[in-house]
Amino acid sequence: MKKTLLVLFTLINFLVYSQHQLPNVKLKNLKGELVNSNLDFQKKEVLYVYSFWATWCAPCVQELDAINEVYGDWKQKLNVELIAVSVDDSRTEKRVKPMVNGKGWGYTILLDTNQEFKRSLSIANVPYTVVVKNNVIVYVQNGHSPGGESEFFEKLKSL
Amino acid sequence: MKKCLFLIAILSSISVFSQTITKDEKTKGRLFGGLESNSQWYLNDIERGINHPEQPIRSNNYLLINYNYGKWTAGIQGESYAPKPLLNFNPKYEKTNLGTYFLNYKTEKVDVTAGYFYEQFGSGLLLRSWEDRSLGINNAIRGGKIVLRPSENLSFTGLYGNQRTGFGVSKGTIYGFNSDINLSGILKMESSDVSVGFSYVGREEKTTFVNPNFEELTNSFSGRFNYSHEAFYINSEYNYKAEDAILYPITVSNAFVKPGSALLTNFGYSKKGVGLDVSLRRIENMNFLSERNPEVFSPEQTSLAYNDRMMNFVPSLTKQHHSNLANIYVFQAQKSVSIVSDNGIAKAGEIGGQIDFFYEFKKGSAFGGKYGTKIALNSSNWFNLDGDYTLYPPDYKTDFFTIGEKYFSDYNIEISKKFNSNLQGSIVFINQYYNHRLIAASLNIQVNSFIIAPEISYKLTPTKSLKIAVEHMWADSDRKNWAALMVEYNHNLNWSFFVSDMYNYGFDKNSNLIDDVSDHFKIHFYNLGTAYTKGSSRIGLSYGRQRGGLVCAGGICRFVPPSSGVTLSLTKSF
Repeated sequence: MKKTLLVLFTLINFLVYSQHQLPNVKLKNLKGELVNSNLDFQKKEVLYVYSFWATWCAPCVQELDAINEVYGDWKQKLNVELIAVSVDDSRTEKRVKPMVNGKGWGYTILLDTNQEFKRSLSIANVPYTVVVKNNVIVYVQNGHSPGGESEFFEKLKSL
Repeated sequence: MKKCLFLIAILSSISVFSQTITKDEKTKGRLFGGLESNSQWYLNDIERGINHPEQPIRSNNYLLINYNYGKWTAGIQGESYAPKPLLNFNPKYEKTNLGTYFLNYKTEKVDVTAGYFYEQFGSGLLLRSWEDRSLGINNAIRGGKIVLRPSENLSFTGLYGNQRTGFGVSKGTIYGFNSDINLSGILKMESSDVSVGFSYVGREEKTTFVNPNFEELTNSFSGRFNYSHEAFYINSEYNYKAEDAILYPITVSNAFVKPGSALLTNFGYSKKGVGLDVSLRRIENMNFLSERNPEVFSPEQTSLAYNDRMMNFVPSLTKQHHSNLANIYVFQAQKSVSIVSDNGIAKAGEIGGQIDFFYEFKKGSAFGGKYGTKIALNSSNWFNLDGDYTLYPPDYKTDFFTIGEKYFSDYNIEISKKFNSNLQGSIVFINQYYNHRLIAASLNIQVNSFIIAPEISYKLTPTKSLKIAVEHMWADSDRKNWAALMVEYNHNLNWSFFVSDMYNYGFDKNSNLIDDVSDHFKIHFYNLGTAYTKGSSRIGLSYGRQRGGLVCAGGICRFVPPSSGVTLSLTKSF
């Protein structure tokens, strides 16, 4: 059995092609409208930052709070749009709207209530960030460290 | 072993295939998926009197591989629990095997899946199939699903299949239909959003009763609406489950047959800087399993303990705290009927509500200071359904809107503030009441607790940061008081380190304790670890002690036994 596992892991190493395109999943926004996760975000040269988060995830909320402080600056300097994808299930989904408004976030919000989008990207834990430009995934970041937004902004500038 | 080889054969064929297609990006063929591995090396802990299990090294591993070509996507998930799954995971996860597979065809208007699929109708009170690896839940349905979207305002789903349990499927057959209709889109309403939805879920399972007092096909229905106008919104959902036999205590009784229902209403008001949300819910007899009788592994252990064969999702509507101490007395939604004549416990569900209030004191205001101040208030109260209960033979008749004995309450406030560009902090105050007697139907223990949890994070350089969190809980019974400390150092976006400790004191050794496998007193629950992340990969390594108790995600919990050891986790997506 160990051998089997070994073979599986070796296979993975052969399989490491990055996922070039974002899967297209239909998700609701806060108005209840269906939005395509990929097809509706395809403007040329725009950096689409998909930030996966949840209302119960403290580092996620901290990260989105921190970016919100500088989001105006970012938008002036870069052609960037942040899409905050909530993976809250029906336990906490209802807290998304009042929280987003209460915190005054200016992001596009998508609701991935049964985690179809999260699953299609094999995301194990939030926060998790995927940057898409010209329909190609150009950067992935797993986790968040306080203050990491300035480092992340430098990264965005280089993409 | 044969199945393993089969799995590998599939994998290798896909990998070979992918090499050919990646040469030409325009064919749009792409391979994607992920790997997750959670391993634990259990050690003996003399101080706590714990011996490691027979197989001390255990591991749960998941490999998901999908291949997409145009409108077609195929996927498989291999799972390996070798040599054994982590402690207290469903024993039906054995060895290495194929977990799920599917083939999907998707266009703008049609979405068809054969094989295993995940789905949720409405808020999931009748049907939700999903995966949560930390809880060992994968109740995907194996069968067929078709979603039709004739216009952007209409969506219809039909499904059929059997639910996954371990590496097999359960005996009950599930039929489902769902519709979502966006009325404001159809009627071209500009200023308001109005939508409605209807669902049907049926579960058919043969019964061994000669003259059953219930139908083999259990029908359930749900209707819901959603309305919002500017900053105001309201939505509501009613679910009805037809008469079905109730578990008494762990097998169904032909003499105890009742319908079930769930009513959920949510409304709120939110605009920039302020948010108010209210959820009210009443649940009666909503335990809905894909097989009526749970599998019995031992007199104390049934498949219910592993959240196996659950068709619906009834999460507890309470705040999911990130404070460790606030998760000691954690409430689980009371969806089932439980009548225990020995100790006089009789309950048929729950009724209660939760209120959330978010507010931001603006920058420059008296409370806001230079950077603004955010507050979040939350409270929840949950009660048994009031009514006439008979212990033997078991029976009940509930009143619709009156409340019975209290299960749980939580009042909390969280204030977060940025002091300067390098320093920010938050503080949480939590008051909880936990009625163990009624929730767990056992010892007569009720706990009132008060928790304070301040936390600061300080940016040392643009990439390095330090986070310190302190927690204290005062409790009036069970193990009494707890103190906890956590220090986290983030070196950069790649490396992070943490140390933490939890300590229990002020207890009375002779008092009743909630769990009979509880730890010795005067134990430090220390943990230390590190994590490395790069791109989509993350490796975490930690060493320490795990308190026995509930581990919860999304309002569903799994019991973990006390343990000590080394944990290694690895995730990667591609």
